[in-house]
Amino acid sequence: MDRFVDLVVSAVLLAGLYATMAYGLGLIYGVLRVVNLAHGGVIMVGAYMGWILHGWLGLDPYLAIPLVVGATFLLGVVTYRVLVRHLPRGAAGGPASLLLLFGVWLVLRNAAYLLFSGNDQTIRTAYSTRAIPLLGSYVSVNRLAVLAIAVVTPVALHLLLKRTYLGRAIRAVAQNADSCTLVGIDVERIYTITFGLGTALAGLAGLLSATIFSFNPGFGSGELLKSFVVVVLGGLGSVFGTGIAALVLAVVEVFAILVLPSYLTAAVGFVMLVLVLVFRPGGLFGQRVLG
Amino acid sequence: MSEPLLRLDAIDVFYGDIQVLYGLSLEVREGEIVTLLGSNGAGKTTTLRAISGIRPPRAGDIHFRGKSLVGLPAAARAELGIALVPEGRDLWGQLTVRENLDLGAYHPRVRANAARNLERVFTMFPRLSERSGQLAGSLSGGEQQMCAIGRALMTEPTLLMLDEPSLGLAPILVDQVMRTVSDLHAEGITVLLVEQNLRKALEVAERGTVIETGRVRLEGTSAELSANPEIRTAYLGI
Repeated sequence: MDRFVDLVVSAVLLAGLYATMAYGLGLIYGVLRVVNLAHGGVIMVGAYMGWILHGWLGLDPYLAIPLVVGATFLLGVVTYRVLVRHLPRGAAGGPASLLLLFGVWLVLRNAAYLLFSGNDQTIRTAYSTRAIPLLGSYVSVNRLAVLAIAVVTPVALHLLLKRTYLGRAIRAVAQNADSCTLVGIDVERIYTITFGLGTALAGLAGLLSATIFSFNPGFGSGELLKSFVVVVLGGLGSVFGTGIAALVLAVVEVFAILVLPSYLTAAVGFVMLVLVLVFRPGGLFGQRVLG
Repeated sequence: MSEPLLRLDAIDVFYGDIQVLYGLSLEVREGEIVTLLGSNGAGKTTTLRAISGIRPPRAGDIHFRGKSLVGLPAAARAELGIALVPEGRDLWGQLTVRENLDLGAYHPRVRANAARNLERVFTMFPRLSERSGQLAGSLSGGEQQMCAIGRALMTEPTLLMLDEPSLGLAPILVDQVMRTVSDLHAEGITVLLVEQNLRKALEVAERGTVIETGRVRLEGTSAELSANPEIRTAYLGI
């Protein structure tokens, strides 16, 4: 029973991280119809930024959040303005944007190898190994903090999308860009901001991951694939659909440990991906786009 | 003669390699209500898209309040007071009615007046106020048309262009939409109306221009056009 509670707790904690990774990918796809293969690379960049700020300047990773989010937002803006803007979109632009953004990922990864070598790094803080009792088991303080951020992020994102002119414009552009120009919405500006936001969310996910896991320049590929699973599972319907999909993935993964040999647990996500694509291609919650 | 509100000078518009408008010229004076007539594929929608900036002309010039619109993106034209109610409404179907209307006030120039303008739209179309929390995609055709007109009004247009507002509506709704257009004109908004329903269009408009395969074919007051034998046989079926 203790083991059961342990697994539930760790699934919930993991789900927060998965959801944070997936929002950015889903947002960019939902609005620009571009699959951002550089997403994994930005997750890695976020991790290294946190590591640099902590190791060189002694900045706590949680205090580094605004800096990392701001810097990766700018990275996204530049990537969009310089590269993605010039590509065809949607079905026609599939191969071109996939290749280009995969290329961006390779550049980021190899730049990181060049700068930081391939050694595994970690961010160790005073509270990294501290745990508090919760529901009869011990839970890492750091993981709880990650979960807290992972809960605040979608709420903030949801409020942005629902309550502000900018957020409504983002949702409107996702549905029909031509009629946006008719009310004076600068569609290119919305695309730029959306790409920046999606990239910043990847950076945040990377930073949070780095407080839990060790990482090297290859970090991010598993995270990208998990983000895919969550986005496909959750559909593009809503911020909260993504959160629930992340929870489903995390629960299935964590409980798979009980019944599957460890070398197969990584495959669980892909099996789910295939099952969803076959049986519910619109995701668990249907086809609505950022509704 | 003073400068017209809108002046199209010999514009050529293309879709890819296919030319749709050939040296089309047109004028709309401030406070007028003008209708653009012609059969399917004549280039009426394209003319409106050229003015709104969605499909800019490859040659020729468009002046609004005496200033050239060449090179000005569509979003900036909306800011100048040019509004288009597109054919098929083009609402954001998965946003609520209220969100659709609110986005009409996206532009900083009109954002401060959003509450007042929303009130005005709701007074004009009480139906929209009842349905404000509903997804726009779930509205009936007539309600969608009201919502699209409402969204355009939220931008505080000087020039309101409507593309086939009666398309697909029941006759009673067609009359209602035409009355709305008339009312808006009475309030001082300049209107450029594209209609297939020529009879209705000539009833509300003061002046009309008939275009055929991308060129101006005929121009005149509504009375002149209604009396024109060519129009009577070709379009009114009399």
